[in-house]
Amino acid sequence: MKILVPVKIVLESEDIQIKGDRSLDFSKAKPKLSDYDCNALEIAAQIGDNGVYALSVGGEALKDSKVKKNILSRGVDELFLTCDSAYEDLDAYQTAQALAKLVEEAGEYDLIILGDGSADRMAQQVDVQLAYALNLPIVTAVSHIEVEGSKLKLTRILEDSIQNIEVETPAIISIVPDIAEPRIAGMKDILAAGKKPMHEVTTELEATQSAETVSNLAPEQVQRQQNIKDASDESIAEFAQALKQAANL
Amino acid sequence: MDFAKTDEQELLIESIEEFCSRYFNEDLIESMYENGSVTDEILKEYLEAGFGLMGIPEEYGGIPCDKVTLGILTEEFAHHAGCVTSFLNNTLAMSDMIEFGSEKQIEFCMNAYMESGKPIFSLGFSEPAAGSDNQAMTSVTKKQADGTYILNGQKTWVTQGELLPYVLVVAKDEDPSRENKSMSLWLIDKNTKGVSTAPLHKIGQQIMPFCEMYFDDVVLTEDMRVGEKGVGFVNLMKNFEMERCLIVAQCLGCAQAALEDAAQYATMRETFGRPIANFQLIQEKLTDMEIALENTRNLLYKTLWKMDQGESVRLDSALVKRYGPKACYEVASEALQIFGGLGFTTEKRVGRIWKDLRGHMIAGGTDEIMVYIAGRQITKKYQA
Ligand SMILES: Cc1cc2nc3c(=O)[nH]c(=O)nc-3n(C[C@H](O)[C@H](O)[C@H](O)COP(=O)(O)OP(=O)(O)OC[C@H]3O[C@@H](n4cnc5c(N)ncnc54)[C@H](O)[C@@H]3O)c2cc1C
Repeated sequence: MKILVPVKIVLESEDIQIKGDRSLDFSKAKPKLSDYDCNALEIAAQIGDNGVYALSVGGEALKDSKVKKNILSRGVDELFLTCDSAYEDLDAYQTAQALAKLVEEAGEYDLIILGDGSADRMAQQVDVQLAYALNLPIVTAVSHIEVEGSKLKLTRILEDSIQNIEVETPAIISIVPDIAEPRIAGMKDILAAGKKPMHEVTTELEATQSAETVSNLAPEQVQRQQNIKDASDESIAEFAQALKQAANL
Repeated sequence: MDFAKTDEQELLIESIEEFCSRYFNEDLIESMYENGSVTDEILKEYLEAGFGLMGIPEEYGGIPCDKVTLGILTEEFAHHAGCVTSFLNNTLAMSDMIEFGSEKQIEFCMNAYMESGKPIFSLGFSEPAAGSDNQAMTSVTKKQADGTYILNGQKTWVTQGELLPYVLVVAKDEDPSRENKSMSLWLIDKNTKGVSTAPLHKIGQQIMPFCEMYFDDVVLTEDMRVGEKGVGFVNLMKNFEMERCLIVAQCLGCAQAALEDAAQYATMRETFGRPIANFQLIQEKLTDMEIALENTRNLLYKTLWKMDQGESVRLDSALVKRYGPKACYEVASEALQIFGGLGFTTEKRVGRIWKDLRGHMIAGGTDEIMVYIAGRQITKKYQA
């Protein structure tokens, strides 16, 4: 089975700082591979006995050699990427269009696996949009995959039921994170990563903004600290009330 | 001058961080200290991730890498695990065997290592009356008429001596007297008749206990000799420089963890109405701790870098072992001080780190012996 895995480079959320005016400061945040994509790469590495190709579309962060090696150290054979500063902030539709072009470049394949969503936006749209662009069947929220020849037996865990689906390849699936625990890139994989093929693909796709960001602010901080320093009945009642409030009771 | 890490080194650090957050936590560390060993699972996973293969030649299934990267591995592992581990000893033991062993011995030891992640042997070198003064050792082998040898003697402070099934022993050939410089290395199965051990109780580093080891009329055969006859000690000495560096790398990682804990605590703990981090005496401590670690780091990586360039580090490795463990121990001690009473309890790991690092001022050559080595090199260096 030859598998393609689209992945996204996002900013390390722990390093994003909130400024006094609640605006976000991204300047200290380093680029990293989106967490959920690590699960997709892992399951692909486990079942992709005929090659695992990672695809990525993005801005400057994709030019970082460490970022590329990181992707290639996780059971991936080759990397196809389109990077352009104009693609810094593509919407789901455009991302899917650019990925479709990379899919074409990557040649024949059996399966495309995507993560649950991207760690920054979590819009969960690229999987379906890509399926639409490629005119392929899509199954989302997959928690288990069994390969039987050219057929896939898939399990989806839904809120109150478990669904079993069979689908012919080629197909697209997106997975729930539980499907596979990402491997820890070993030293051998890390050293080998830099030697694996990386293909840069340019597209004619013009980045247009379909939506305009009006504001992007952190939620207002509520003052949660209270000092209650005596043991009178009122203070104890006040303390109990504060506890309840903190615990959302 | 370039202090940048390569992409590969940075990815290695990320992997170590991921590894430690997946496999290490304080409860488990406590239980490993109680049981006197890293768990079998972690030993296997460490090997699987390739960390345990770094520095071992490719022909034996290893992953060759430079010394700077081995230093980073050791430092960052200690930093993210927050404790000492035997991995550094294990890698060094395997390097010794690969360097001096016969093909058959190497294969035997590598197979065992690949299966368990543990080297098959501990290193029996020091004796009760011969630690710094190795030449004073009296363990001796005597050749018998039938071509076998009889070993008699005692070793002590043998790290992981009870845990590992074999021991690599240094013993004098034929004559135990001080003047005799001819020594050999022997790989001995602890089940051999006449070999016995007795526990010693460490005050720190209990995750890798050491023990006494006795050899009473132990019969050895020529195929148990590792390396050439007579040069066993000289051979071991070759790897002392790397051992010193890796011990310091482990100190550095542990002390870094202690500093981070202390710096975070200082911003949270309030006395006299403000965080203790606002008091200049605490700021001075944190400043001096940071300086001590940066100094150690610079000295360490410059030494490892020189080794990678093929330059002699006889002086540098003594300087770094003289300076690093003590500086790191003092950092741990100040970290404990910043925690106050809490620091002196088992609630916080700083106390454990403080005790552990004390041992590294003795193991692998004492601070004083480093002065002895460095002093001679320095006078030589500045000879007109
Ligand atoms: C944690 C730990 C692990 C160890 N693991 C092993 C192991 O696996 N295998 C093994 O064989 N050994 C091991 N050792 C033993 C270690 O190598 C010795 O303890 C060390 O070499 C010091 O020897 P000693 O204890 O006999 O001290 P001594 O040599 O008796 O020294 C006593 C004191 O005198 C000082 N001193 C000695 N000579 C001089 C001098 N010429 N000038 C100035 N001061 C001097 C020393 O620095 C020390 O402070 C370990 C020790 C420790 C603490």
